[in-house]
Amino acid sequence: MESPQTLVEMRGISKRFPGVQANDSANFTLFRGEVHALLGENGAGKTTLMNILYGLYKPDAGEIYVKGKPVQIRSPHDAISLGIGMVHQQFRLIPTHTVAENIIVGSKEIGFTLNYDAINEELSKLIKFYGWAIRPDSRIWQLSAGEKQQVELLKALYRKAEILILDEPTSVLTPQESTVLFQTLRRMASQGLGVVLISHKLDEVMGVTDRVTVMRKGKTVATKLTKETSPEELAYLMIGRQIGVIEAKKNVAPGPPLLETYDLKILDDKGLLAVKGLSIKLHSGEILGVAGVSGNGQQELVESLAGLRKVEGGKILIGGTDMTNKPPSMFIDSGVAYIPPETLRYTAAGMTVAENIILKAYKRGKFSRRFLINWKTVFNEAEKLVKTFNIVTPSLKTRAGSLSGGNIQRLVLARELALQDDIKVVIAAYPTKGLDVASTEFIQRKLAESRDKGIGVLLVSEDLEELAMLCDRIIVMYKGEIVGELVRGEFDLETIGLMMTGVKRAEARV
Amino acid sequence: MLRTVWGIRVERRLDIPRRTSAAISGLLILLSFVVASAVFEILGVNSVRTLSTIVSVFLSPSSLLQAILRGMPIGLAALGLSIAFRMNFWNIGAEGQLYMGMFAATGMVLLHAYYGAIPEQLLFITMILASFISGGLYCTLPGFLKSKLGVNEILPTLMLNYVAILFVDFLVYGPWRDPKGFSFPLSIPFPDYARMDGFFGNSSYLGLMIAIIVAALVYGLMRWTTLGFELRLVGQNVDAAKYGGVNLLKTTLIGSFLAGGLAGIGGLIIVSGLIGRLRPRASPGYGYTAIIVAFLAGLNPWLIVPAAIFFGGLLVAGEAIQATLNLPVAAVQVFQAIIFLMIIVAEFFKRYRVTFKR
Repeated sequence: MESPQTLVEMRGISKRFPGVQANDSANFTLFRGEVHALLGENGAGKTTLMNILYGLYKPDAGEIYVKGKPVQIRSPHDAISLGIGMVHQQFRLIPTHTVAENIIVGSKEIGFTLNYDAINEELSKLIKFYGWAIRPDSRIWQLSAGEKQQVELLKALYRKAEILILDEPTSVLTPQESTVLFQTLRRMASQGLGVVLISHKLDEVMGVTDRVTVMRKGKTVATKLTKETSPEELAYLMIGRQIGVIEAKKNVAPGPPLLETYDLKILDDKGLLAVKGLSIKLHSGEILGVAGVSGNGQQELVESLAGLRKVEGGKILIGGTDMTNKPPSMFIDSGVAYIPPETLRYTAAGMTVAENIILKAYKRGKFSRRFLINWKTVFNEAEKLVKTFNIVTPSLKTRAGSLSGGNIQRLVLARELALQDDIKVVIAAYPTKGLDVASTEFIQRKLAESRDKGIGVLLVSEDLEELAMLCDRIIVMYKGEIVGELVRGEFDLETIGLMMTGVKRAEARV
Repeated sequence: MLRTVWGIRVERRLDIPRRTSAAISGLLILLSFVVASAVFEILGVNSVRTLSTIVSVFLSPSSLLQAILRGMPIGLAALGLSIAFRMNFWNIGAEGQLYMGMFAATGMVLLHAYYGAIPEQLLFITMILASFISGGLYCTLPGFLKSKLGVNEILPTLMLNYVAILFVDFLVYGPWRDPKGFSFPLSIPFPDYARMDGFFGNSSYLGLMIAIIVAALVYGLMRWTTLGFELRLVGQNVDAAKYGGVNLLKTTLIGSFLAGGLAGIGGLIIVSGLIGRLRPRASPGYGYTAIIVAFLAGLNPWLIVPAAIFFGGLLVAGEAIQATLNLPVAAVQVFQAIIFLMIIVAEFFKRYRVTFKR
């Protein structure tokens, strides 16, 4: 077998951002005809390394060779002319323009006049080859996320890219769309392209790639042939240690109910009934899971349980006290901690890490006396929390908005779980969504710790394995109603999966 | 994000050191002198003489005191704006709030003079309180509309300016006209103990003291108090504020009240320090200049005081230029506008790093 042709070689790449060494003499090689995973946790430097290859950042040190020749890539323009294409996490498409128009924007080959027939024909050929269903004259806004991604891929293919970088491409896709994408990637590799797949998901890396390069803290720690490695080994390389197993609680009789709702009715933003008469009881020392495809009323439910959304009908009791339609501050005072689904939305991005940590506690306890904030205590406490919650930040006075997603999530967790002594209820909505293995484990562990302290935890998640591992009971929501409830011991992922589509429990059992 | 056009590279800054930020502001203010000179030259005006007239205002003690006094209404309004802008409340209505301050201060003098309702010793302190409350309430109205009904504050604050100006016009042309004033639209002159120069001989001293005390209070409020934290939080992210348990209605009302109230005290300085009575159009747009001053100072209360004195000096210089160089006041307004443009340009350079390639 002849040795594969090297498309890209990056040697000793280093890049420093203020306060962070994003890449630390990283090495990376891409062969023709392979799908190569760049695996690592959030903030490991994967995207930075590829942004350097695409000319978005200039490396502080290191060399790049494309097809054996040393190159300086100063801009995406340089990268495109070297045959490098990149599909970012956020699509860069103009919604009101057609697929064809979006593809030729900025293209050099196009002359002063446009020959749409020729362009459309070429695009149709490519679309047909990859077995997609998009049309060159569709408008972008009409397309689904998966189709938009196909347009981005098409853009790179039309520009004759031989090296294609995809940054966490499945984060916006449904499982079905992901499967289609993986078929496409294999097909591209068989056409002689080199594909880089940036990812932190082990299963997709194992399923679709030929080789894996693992990054940790800016360094490339290993490159392996996919078929010669295992998910366990990759996880170990990625995190640098073994992942622990979180113990489910042994069966103890549940404590008194801390959170009760009776016949709760809640409207969504459009004014339609999103939660239709929901009654739940959350006891001390238990984790109650809420399973369901997102958009079935979970968001509205958790917002109303944190006092952020008005309730149309029914009652919410916290620790036996009626809290229906009380302001958020009273929910906080009564001991409700809320880990919201979009943490950035509830973060003051322009304020400092320390200020964000006390976002909810600034008026309480030791942080203020009468109307004055005691900054000394704030900084001391924040310093401690940054350590215990592993928040990676250059300083306490750094703007919270410049932290990575995983770190903001940890900050929110610290703010919610560590600052109030009398927490009764933790409402956690999708707390591990989009996070890497280590952060996920950390957060799950914290939730289990809360449970052990006698706190009632309501965990809303789409990740059934997470629910099955942590919960004592799981309720399944569909169209704003509870389809069924299962207790530990009866958890069966298939049954829950079926119930999530609205099948009642008795029928799902069969 | 990063773009490269014609070898110029624009990169977003993650964080900016305070020193760099100050250097950028300083450099661009210097640049505004250069640009202003160029504009003056194009218009056939001797730029050296114009600029040296402006600079000389700050060098002679008597005109400097004048500059300070003129700057104080601007400064107080700008201090109020620094609170409003920090809580993302785009108050364009400082001008109207100044007028409401003048109205209330004058009202107290008239209550004292016509009805003897307020004793002489308490008059000035009552005037301060009244102007603060009056300006504050005037700004609370759009604050209420915003937080309760979701009405954007920009148009209400702007339009209320005209209401306030015309209201004061009505008073001095009508019920508040000085009976012995030969039908001029003026109120009665304030007695000495209602005038700021009655305290330390020159109104500037008391004015500067008030401004510095207020600056210290605003600084302390924003930095050390829970209310200041809430105001900044509301300005940063309303959702986060709600989630943190902040009472949005209450915070917005207090913030807008303070903002308008400080402008109201600025109005007091106009009638009690600058003019000595109420007359129509008593403010030549101090409330608008205050917006420039607040931004020039980067909403930092300590910097607002010198920035306000600088703009007060420009007003004094405008009169000097008119008299000695026979130029329209517009020459100084051109200069003001150029400074404002440069502040906006400076904001860009603070947000993005620009480097040149080859």
